[in-house]
Parts: sequence; structure tokens; C-alpha cells
Amino acid sequence: MHLRSRLIADTLLGLTLTLLLQAPASTVAQDHPESFDELTAGASSAREQGDIPRAIELYQQATQLNPKWPDGWWYLGSLQYGVNAYAPAIEALTHYIELTPDAGPARALRGLCEFEVGQYPQSLQDLQQGIALGAANQPRNAGIVLYHEALLLTRLGRFEEALGKYAVMVRHGTINEDVTNGIGLSGLRMPILPKDIDPSQAQLIAMVGRAAATFMSGDLTGAHQAFEEIFARFPTTPNVHYLYAYLLFPADPDQAIGQFQKELTISPASALVHAMLAWAFGMQGDYRIALSDAQKAFAEDPSLSMAQLVLGRDLMETGDIRGALPHLEAVVTTEPQNLEAHIALAKAYSELGRRDDAGRERLLCLALSGHGTAADANM
Amino acid sequence: MRICRVLLVSLLSCICMSAERGQETVTCARCHQKQASTQPGTQMGHAMQVPGDNDTLRAHPELTFRREQYTYTVKTQNGQTQYIVSDGTHSISIPVVWSMGAQAQTWLLDHNGRMYESLVSYYPSIEGLALTVGDDRLEPKTLEEAIGRPLLEEGVTTCFGCHASNAVIGHKLNLTSLKPGLTCEHCHVDAGAHLASIAQGDWTVFPPELKDLSSEDISNFCGQCHRTWELVVRAGWRGTSNVRFQPYRLAISKCFDGADPRISCIACHDPHQKVVRGASFYDSKCLACHSPAMSAAAPHAKVCSVAKVNCASCHMPKVPFPGGHFVFTDHDIRIVKPNEPYPY
Repeated sequence: MHLRSRLIADTLLGLTLTLLLQAPASTVAQDHPESFDELTAGASSAREQGDIPRAIELYQQATQLNPKWPDGWWYLGSLQYGVNAYAPAIEALTHYIELTPDAGPARALRGLCEFEVGQYPQSLQDLQQGIALGAANQPRNAGIVLYHEALLLTRLGRFEEALGKYAVMVRHGTINEDVTNGIGLSGLRMPILPKDIDPSQAQLIAMVGRAAATFMSGDLTGAHQAFEEIFARFPTTPNVHYLYAYLLFPADPDQAIGQFQKELTISPASALVHAMLAWAFGMQGDYRIALSDAQKAFAEDPSLSMAQLVLGRDLMETGDIRGALPHLEAVVTTEPQNLEAHIALAKAYSELGRRDDAGRERLLCLALSGHGTAADANM
Repeated sequence: MRICRVLLVSLLSCICMSAERGQETVTCARCHQKQASTQPGTQMGHAMQVPGDNDTLRAHPELTFRREQYTYTVKTQNGQTQYIVSDGTHSISIPVVWSMGAQAQTWLLDHNGRMYESLVSYYPSIEGLALTVGDDRLEPKTLEEAIGRPLLEEGVTTCFGCHASNAVIGHKLNLTSLKPGLTCEHCHVDAGAHLASIAQGDWTVFPPELKDLSSEDISNFCGQCHRTWELVVRAGWRGTSNVRFQPYRLAISKCFDGADPRISCIACHDPHQKVVRGASFYDSKCLACHSPAMSAAAPHAKVCSVAKVNCASCHMPKVPFPGGHFVFTDHDIRIVKPNEPYPY
């Protein structure tokens, strides 16, 4: 079953269970309810009997009578979502969120509705806020919510973030055609949704998605074979070597560097590839080699944050600290949450003896970085 | 067996770094006698021990430890050590070749071509075996898994890179050139070229002067093994387990200044000498800033109103490492307040 249809089925199942749990113990449906209590009882009864249009109508009347009734808005919004009435669902869920600001599932559901009507930035914001409030804590919900978040990140050109979401899904066993197609789009850096895939590119996207998913699942040998097949069949397609390099980098930087260099033979003017190559060399301590690629990246696209970051970092590590500062400060101005830029800035300020600035940056880094455990580190 | 052959080669080549000059052998010690005479006795000099040269195992010929259904025995006889894991029915016996650590020892084990970090380690505080740091979460389900934590290539390279010299060349593990422990060329890269050039009468080739590095750079240099501030932050390693990452702890100290040589690793520690344990030894290092005489050079450094001696005993508290087998000096230099949680 495709994720979209499974999403609706799952959501309806979830809603049904929720509603059954929350429904009053005894309700009596009436043909012409007038009071609020009668309306809520009728709505509940209609919902239980599967008469969704009638339930929606009664919830609408009840919430008009009592706009402060959060449950009514929730039932109304979720039922409307279930029948693809996304715009009114957004309105109903907005009322619910106004009354219950910390409701993660409602934010996520509104995000899903916004996705369906093409309000992508708002959708991403709601999904991410919903996740932060616990909307993805249940495995079933996590798959749906993360999948849509990844689609939106891809649509908005935030491909690496999208791949990170897909990697989480794959590690949790969520691998199907929808997911691999999504991974394929992210991997090929195509800022579109699956519904907009050109049929002539469908095979490439599917192959790339499957190869990357294989890698994410931990089957490195299988992934290598899959990527080699793609390289053979699509030798000049941009971004495939880049994707493989990006996946390889954490565990095998040497091989990743080789793949980045192959990508440069296909995309010689890619600022991103030069920047990633510079980053990879830098992480190995080869800052002088890295600097050359960082300079090329910046020359190709001065607006690319990654180019500014690597240039700043490599200038600093090769001794030109004052030359590095403007680049690093520019990155944190546009991306205040960029941990790597703050790390580099802390070191640059420290080298310059700007103790207070370095201390401030170090504290920022500690606030931004995640919490692992030192036991992860070898003795 | 491949690794045993490699070890033999490496042992044969494991002599003091030297180059031939006519009839005489040029060594580091010829000019740097003071450093060369003491450095091999340091903990870094003993960061790796090999069969026949492992006093700890010689002094403890049979060590045992039991965890659930698995029994671990580390048996040493005639200079050779076996790491034996048994589930009561079957057992796996692996020769111990590489012992990592000068005091506590963890063993890097080659079993069927795969490298493992031993699940148990030797700890001097208990003079016996206990679980290796960080491995308490491993729950082996087979005898093979009970050997220890399997290491990826990168992990193996990291182990050898910090516990041996000449083991990693161009980011790749090279066991044929490995020398156990840290020798001159581990830190002084290009020392070999320096020696070779001197053997030819050429006095123009020198390794980079490490003492000229800034405090920030020294921290990052030592942090290649002791873990840098950057690495710890990026990995998110928090809690008392990170007390052993001294460059990280030092960097988060309020007084750390990457451009001030009075607060670098080598301001307090000479890597060619054994670490001095007494707090009073370090007083002069603290007072280089925190004294009335230095107020002009270090205006931000307050003078302690409580004491003028044993500064480190209060401002660098001893922190028990989780597991209870170590106590580390916290290099986050600070005013320690009662009941204050461990910072970062």
C-alpha cells in the first residue's frame, strides 16, 4: 500500500480509536438537535456509526454554538482531513491549536493538511513543531510525519536534512516505494514532490533511492553494487557520485573524497561539491589542500553558506585568522544555528586572544550540540 | 596469523629511531639526550605494550572475570598472553598482541581477521579485570560477541594512531612500520627526515617547532589523542565521562585563552617527563596569572583570597570516572561550589 493511502487509513484508524476512547459513554442521536449537548451527542453518534458527513455537520453546528470547545474542533478537523476537505480542516485545527497550543498531533495534522493544499513552508513549520511536541513519538505516526517532513525539505531544497529524516525512517524499517522515491529525489537534489516526477526520470530516481536506502540500512556491499550499476547506466548524471560520497563520508572519508572528485568531473563548477571536498579534506587535517577547493567553492557561489564556512575554516587553519573571521561571521548571521560555524569562530577568537568572544561561542556550541555520552568514546 | 607476522616485522624494526652516518648511528638521543632519556618512561611512552614487555601481565599471570554466562581469563606464561572467553561449554582463545594503556590495559584482539576491543580490561585500582569503559551496554548473545566490541577500520586506525608510533601513514593503518608507544616521531613529524638529513651532514631540515604553537593549537595537537574541545562538542559527549578529555575541559575553563602561552597543555606538562602528581607543583603555573605581581599582564585574573598554595586541589577537583576504576583531575579550572553539578 502506498504511503499516502496508508496514511489516510492509519489516520482514520487512529482517529476512530481516539474517538471511541473519548466518546461519551452514552449518546442519543436526534434528527433536529438544537442544544449544544444535543449537538455533541448527535455528532458523536454519527461519528460512531460512520456517518462522517452528518458528524461533520453536527460538529460544525456545535463549535459555532461553543467556539471554546476544543474537542469539537479536533473531531471536526480530523474528520475533514479524512474526507480530503483540507482547507476547512486547517481552519478547524487552527481553532483547536488556539485553544490547546501544546497539541503536537494537531499541529502535525494541520501540517499534513497544509501539505495537501500546497502551503509548503507552513506545512513544514507545523510538522516540525508537531514533532517537537511529540507527534512522532509513536512509530506509526513517526513514519507518516517524517516522510512528509522529508518531502517538504526536499521540495524546499534542504536535501541533506531530508536525507537525514529518511535515514531515520530506514533504520526503523520503513522502506517502501514511496520512501525510496523520496530518497531518490533528495539524493539527486531535485526540489520537487513525487507527484511531479517526469516519467522519463522515474527509473533513475527509483534506482538512486533504492541504492541510498540500501546504504542507510547498513548493507554497504549491496549499496556499492547498486551505485556502481547507476554509474554504469547513467555515467553523466549529476549528483549521484555526490550522494554516494555524502553517505560514505562519516565512515570512510577517503572513499568519499574519491567520489566527490568523480562528481567534479561531471559537475566541475559545482560550488557545493568543491565545498564538500574542502570539508572532507579539512576533517582529515589537510587544510592546505582543502583551501584550494574552498576558494573555488566561494568563487563559484559566494552566497553558499557551506562555501563561506569551509573558506573561513580553511583560512583559519592555515593561519589567516583575520581573513577567516568575515566568512565565519557571515555564516552565523545567516544561519545562527550552524554549529560548525560557531565551532570555527570559537577557535578563531581563541587564536586571536579574544577570550570573552571565544567563551561566548563555546557556550553557544555547547547549547547547540546534542547530548551523546562520553562512554561512546574509546578509552 | 597475518597480524602475528606483521608484528614480528614491526618488532624487528622496533629500534630507536636512527640513521646511519658513515660508521656512526645518528639518533634523536645524540642531540636531545635529556628528552630521549626520560620520554620512553612516560605513560605516553608506554601507551602500547607488546608480548614480553608487559610488566602488568607478567605480575598478574592469571586474571579472571565473569559476566553473566561468560567467563574471561587472561593468562600469561613465558611472556605470551591468551585472552580466553568461555561460556562454560565452548571457549575462544586469542593471543594478546597489543595491550593499550600504560596503567589500565585494554586489548586489541584479532579474531578470524576481525579486530575487537576486549570486553574486559585490566584496572590497577582493583588489580583485576572489569568491563571496558563504554562497553557496559554491550549484551553479547554469542561467544563471539562476548569477545568484545568489533571495531571498524577507522576505529582500529584510531587505536593504533594514538597508542603506537608510525602505525598510521596517510590515514591508513601500516602495521609493518608500527612502533609500540609514543616515540619521538609520533609528535615530531618529519623527525625521520631530520635524522636522515643530519646523517648526510645537512642541518637544514627540521621538524616543525611544536613549542611555537599557540595554546589553542597545542590543545588541538594534544587533543588528537586526548580529544579536542571541537570533537567533544560535535559528538555531544557530556557528563563526567568526558573528564578524561583534558583539552576539552581546559578549553571550557573561564581562564583559557588560546593566545596566552601560560594556559597551554605544555605550560603545565612536559610530555617528555612523567606527569607530576602533587598539586603544589602546579602552583607556579596558576600564579603566573593569579598573583598581584601579574595583575598588569593578566588583568582579568583574580587573586585567590583563600590560599596561595595547592591551587589545583580546589580549582581542579578530582572526579571519579563512571565505573569507579579511575579518578581524573578535572581540567575545567574553576571556582568549585558545593553541590554544583558537573559542568558540561
